[in-house]
Formats: sequence, C-alpha cells, structure tokens
Amino acid sequence: MRNTFNEQLERLHVELIQMGATCEDAISAAAEALLKNDEALSRAAEEAERELDRQEREVENLCLKLLLQQQPVARDLREISAALKMISDLERIGDQAADIAELTRFVRLPDGQGALHIADMARAVIGMVTDSVDSFVRHDLELARAVCAADDRVDELFDKVKRELVALIAADAASGEQGLELMMVAKYLERIGDHATNVAEWVEYSITGIHPSNN
Amino acid sequence: MTKRIFRSILTVTLAVLVSSFVLIVGVLHGYFQDRVAAELARSTAYIARGVEHEGIAYLQSEFPDESRVTWIAADGTVLFDNREEPADMGNHADREEFREALALGKGSAARYSSTLSQRTLYYALRLTDGSVLRTASAQYSVWILVLQAIQPVAFMMLAAFCMALWLAGRVAQQLVEPINAIDLGNPGEEAVYEELSPLVGKIRSQNRQIQRQVLDLKQRREEFAAITENMSEGLLVVDQETRVLSYNSAALHLLGARGPVEEGQSVLALDREAGFRRCVEESLAGRRCEELLERSDDCRRVLASPVMEEGAVAGAVLIVLDVTEKEQRDRLRREFTANVSHELKTPLTSILGTAEILENGMVKPADIPHFAGNIHREAQRLIGLVNDIIKLSRLDEGGPTAQWETVDLYAQAQAVFRQLAAAAEKKQVDMRLTGESVPARGVPQIVEEILYNLCDNAVAYNHPGGSVAMTVADTPAGARVTVRDTGIGIPREARERVFERFYRVDKSHSSGGTGLGLSIVKHGAAYLGVGVTLESEMGKGSTFTLQFPKVSE
Repeated sequence: MRNTFNEQLERLHVELIQMGATCEDAISAAAEALLKNDEALSRAAEEAERELDRQEREVENLCLKLLLQQQPVARDLREISAALKMISDLERIGDQAADIAELTRFVRLPDGQGALHIADMARAVIGMVTDSVDSFVRHDLELARAVCAADDRVDELFDKVKRELVALIAADAASGEQGLELMMVAKYLERIGDHATNVAEWVEYSITGIHPSNN
Repeated sequence: MTKRIFRSILTVTLAVLVSSFVLIVGVLHGYFQDRVAAELARSTAYIARGVEHEGIAYLQSEFPDESRVTWIAADGTVLFDNREEPADMGNHADREEFREALALGKGSAARYSSTLSQRTLYYALRLTDGSVLRTASAQYSVWILVLQAIQPVAFMMLAAFCMALWLAGRVAQQLVEPINAIDLGNPGEEAVYEELSPLVGKIRSQNRQIQRQVLDLKQRREEFAAITENMSEGLLVVDQETRVLSYNSAALHLLGARGPVEEGQSVLALDREAGFRRCVEESLAGRRCEELLERSDDCRRVLASPVMEEGAVAGAVLIVLDVTEKEQRDRLRREFTANVSHELKTPLTSILGTAEILENGMVKPADIPHFAGNIHREAQRLIGLVNDIIKLSRLDEGGPTAQWETVDLYAQAQAVFRQLAAAAEKKQVDMRLTGESVPARGVPQIVEEILYNLCDNAVAYNHPGGSVAMTVADTPAGARVTVRDTGIGIPREARERVFERFYRVDKSHSSGGTGLGLSIVKHGAAYLGVGVTLESEMGKGSTFTLQFPKVSE
C-alpha cells in the first residue's frame, strides 16, 4: 500500500519535472522567437503550450487520485497540494509564452535601447523559470528564495522598458503600434516572472510548511 | 515445538493417570463388593443362628436396624421383615436368592428391590426348618466405601498431575533449548542431537555457499564500479519509471549535477533539457536514440538504448559523451576545408583572368610584363600557400622525419634575420637581435619555421619606421626567445583565434600572407614541446614568447 503511494509520489515528481522542462522550453522558444524573429520557434512555443495543457490535466488527475485514494498527511500532503498549485502557475507561464510567440509575428525589435532591455528582461525571466523548476527538482530552499528575490530585478527592468517605449513612441509616432505590441510582450514577461515567483513560493511551502506570504 | 512436546507429554501423563484411576476404582469396587457380600453372609449366618434358637422373638427383639432382614417361609410367604409389614409383601417364592437358598442352602443375588427402591445385594440362607432368612444391603454402600478409599488416591493423582505439568514444561524446554542454541549463522561442528546433524551440516554448507556468492557479487560489483568510475563517458542505467538504478561520477559531472543521486530519484532531475528528455522517452519506448546536447560552453552526446526483458522494455542505458573537443575539431576542419578552397581559388581566378586576357591578344605588348608579373606573383602566392599547407599537414601527422638535434637558437635567429632583411628594409622596419648563443633541442627545420613566421608577421604587421626586437636568453627553465614588435597589435578577442588556420584579424587580405603562419608556429611549437605566449596592446605592438624546455645534459 505504502509502496504504491511512494511510487505514485515519485511519478508525480517526474511528471512535474517534465512539465517544468516543457515550460522552460516554451518560454525560451518564445524569447528566441522574439529576439531572432523566427517563425518556427514561435510555432514551437505554441506547441509546447498545448503540451503543457495536457500535462497539467495529467498531473491534476494524479494529484487528486493520490489525495482521494491514499489520504496523505504532513509532508506528503504539502507536496501534493503545492504541486496542485504549481501546475496552474506553470500552465499560465506556458500560456503567456504562447502569447508572446504569437505577438512576435507582428513585432520587430528596434535596434535601439528598448530592444536591449526587453532582451535582458527575457533572459532574467528565463533564469527565474529555470531556477524555480530547479529549486523544486533539488528541494533547494535557498534557490527558491533567490527566485523570489530575482522578481524585483524583473520588475525594475519592466519599468525601464516602459520608459524606453514611452520615449520611443514620443520620438517616432509611426512606431506607436510597434511600441504597444512590445509593451504587451514586456507585460507578459513580467507576469511570467510573477508566476515563477509563485512556483518558488510553493516550493518553499512544500519544504518548510510555511507559505512565504504568511510571514 | 516446546508447546508441542509439552502437550504430548501432558497427554500421555493424563492418559496414564486416568486409566490407572479407573483401574483402581474398578479394583476397589470389586474388593469392597466382595467384602460387603462376605459381611452380609456373616451377619446372615449370625442372625440365622439366633433365629434357630429363639425364633421370631430374636428378630423382633434387639435386632440392629443396620440392614434389612426378611424371614421367608418355605412356601415363599414373608414371616417377618424389619422394614415392611410382612402382610403387605407378596409371595417371595420367585426371588432368585430364595430359590437358590432352597435348592443349595444359601443364595445370593443383586437386583433392584421394589421395597427399598434401589439396587440391592441379597443374601439368603436356608434354616433347618426349611424357611429362608434373607438379609439385604443397598449397593450404594459399596460406592460409599469406594469413594472413601479413593479420596487420598485422587489427591495423590492431582498432585502427580501438577508435578507432571511442571515437569513436562521443564523437559520440553530442556529438549528444545539446545536446538535454539544452535547459531544458524555459524553452526558449530558438533550437532547437539545426532538426528539434527544432517540438517546442521546442510545449513553450514549453504552458509558457506552464500558467503562465497555474496563475496563474489561484492567483488564483481566493485570491479564494475571501478571500471565505470574510471570511464570518462557518463553511464546511467534507469528503470521504466526513469529512476536511476546505477550511475558513475562522470555522468553526474557531464550532466552538471550537484551531489550524488538519491535513491529512487528520477534521471530527469539531473537534466531536463529537451534533447535529453527525448532520449529517455524514446529509449523507454523501446527505440534507440541519439542526441547532441549543446550548451554555451560544452557539447555532449547522449546515446540511449532500451534494455529489453522478455519482449518488454525494462529500462534504458544512457551513455553521455563529452564531445566538446570533437565538435570543435569538426568545426575547425569544416572551416579549414572551406578556407583552403577559398584561398586557393582567389589566386587561381586572378591567374585565369590574366591568362585569358593575354590569350585573346587584348594586351598591348608593352603591358605584357606587367600581366606576366601578375601571373608570377599569384602563382608564387599559390605555391607559398600549398607549401604552408604541406608543412602544417606534416606537423599534423606527427612532424617531419628530420632528426632531433641541438640547435643554436641565436644562429637560427641570425639566419632568419638575413632572410627577412630585404622585406624589412622595404617596410622600413628596424630589426635588432640581442642575446647570446643558447642551445636547445629540436628539429632545425621546424625551429627555423617558427622563428621565420614570427618575424615575418612582426615585419608584415608593422608600421613603417617601427622595429622588431628579438631576444634570445637562457633562463633556469630553458631557452627563451622573445619577438617584440611595434606593430598594429592584436585585438583581445582575436588573441585565441590568431593561431587558427586562415584566421586573419584583418579580413581584407591586404597585408598578404597565407593566414597559416601562426598556425604553423602553434603546431610546430606543440611538436617541439615549446610554450607560446602572446601579449599584445592595440596600436603598440605584440610580443610573442617561446619557452623552450630545458636541455638535459
């Protein structure tokens, strides 16, 4: 009985790793598509998003099955409930990555400074997603906390990009539409950063039993 | 076992006790019955004598009321009874004891008495007048006697049973104790019970066999671990659920994992790159898979093969190879091929074009020397290029067949300076050689090639009016040659790449040369075991230092 439970718990862990990896694929494909303007990559991001939806349902089923059939307690219960919360964040990251990928078809990054910081932002966000998944995989509390801290940097970059886009539009009214699209991309990236923070917070909860927002 | 022995002993004891008890009761009962009957006979005889003498008065007078006494006339009529009214009693002629007494003089019987309402013993005696005197005694009196006699026996038996209980426990324990005392892990030579010795012997031999096998397995495992640990290739064995069953440290290192793998951990926790995941998935689906994982600074190849067991996939074996160098070499080779074709084509195109113009007679006779000079120059460049390539490929193949000998570096440098004097004068570059005569071990041809190429570059990439200074010195670590120029310098990002084949900082080819010079220096130095270092400052010049190994006497 316990053995089945442990096996299922391990399977949950593996599926979550896979989901995290798909999520990383989606966001990095979307960012690459944005930076290189590559149609194939944006399709890959959308493909990854569909895969994420499927994985979310699968993990959800597994979690509910574990909760109902095994009635876990203490740490196991925390891990499963954290997993249930995490997958919705991961799925949202996938959605936003797909949104960015879609936008890249209409957006061309200007060679000015605006482009520079959007690229920085994308890199920072990818780092956050990777670290949050890593912290889950390794049960690494320090890394999870580092992800939460990194969100401030992304927010800072978002403000910077915003100012740059305002300047861009003010300088050249014709590029207004481009500017707005880029603004959307920046916003999506910022949201992805928030979701990565959420994931890291749930990792912290599953390790310590205390959700950081309670402090 | 103890319980079973205890129970068996107890059952036997109980059976013995019960049967002896029954026997004693039976014997006592018979004995007492005989005695009661004898008593009856005696008292009847006594009463009979009284009756003979005194008649019925004896019976009616002081007769004790212990037992029932009946006097029956010869025709069966009851004359007297001390318990009943004789008139109420019927004719007793049909009574067994009565008839027996009439016939034989005395008779006895045991039967149910309607008068006394219980089983009764009768004794009858014929008197001289033909009447019969009969006494009766209730049979229960026998049982009372038996019961009285049996009481101590019963107590004794109970005591015996208790003792048996205790003894059975003791004995059972004592029997089993030596069996329990056998150390099954390491049974001794002598068996406690002879009957057990084959069993103990078997256990002993099996123990030895198991120990041997365990030792064997451990040894084999250690050998396997030692082999896999020393492999530079990463090896991972995973089961269907992607759990890591076995791994070596190279695998952890190549996958960039921190710390050892925990029991039951998924291999995907080590690396979840898309290519790696595909490999794991494919191999667990029963297909071989090969993927190249590229990260910014290294390149790994993953080979995954399924492990089949009875037609089903039981797991997979993953081999991770570090192919960074191989990929780099492949890239260099591809670049080299492309570069060689390009470099060879450029002068040939020029020669071809010039020759075509000459052939068509479109050139004024006065211009022919100029065009011919063109062809000559390009052809020379081509030959220089081919020569350089040949030198390089010789170095690649392990160097020329020339002998190693002691070379005087100072003399070699002087020779190189003589060769380059004309070119230096043309570029207005001042060449200076300082130092002393220092011996070094090497192949003269290669040493000359290295020095020539360094100086050639130093002159070619110099400013007019600049200088090239070569110093030959002897240091404790061995001979050292320094070539310092005041040329254009090498940008920082190009410092690694200048030693690559056909790499030019200036892509316009304006400075001439084949682009192979420093490559020859690098390969030649590597062949001779000479260290090459490069320092450079943009616009101020570069310094190449050759550190020769110490000449052992």
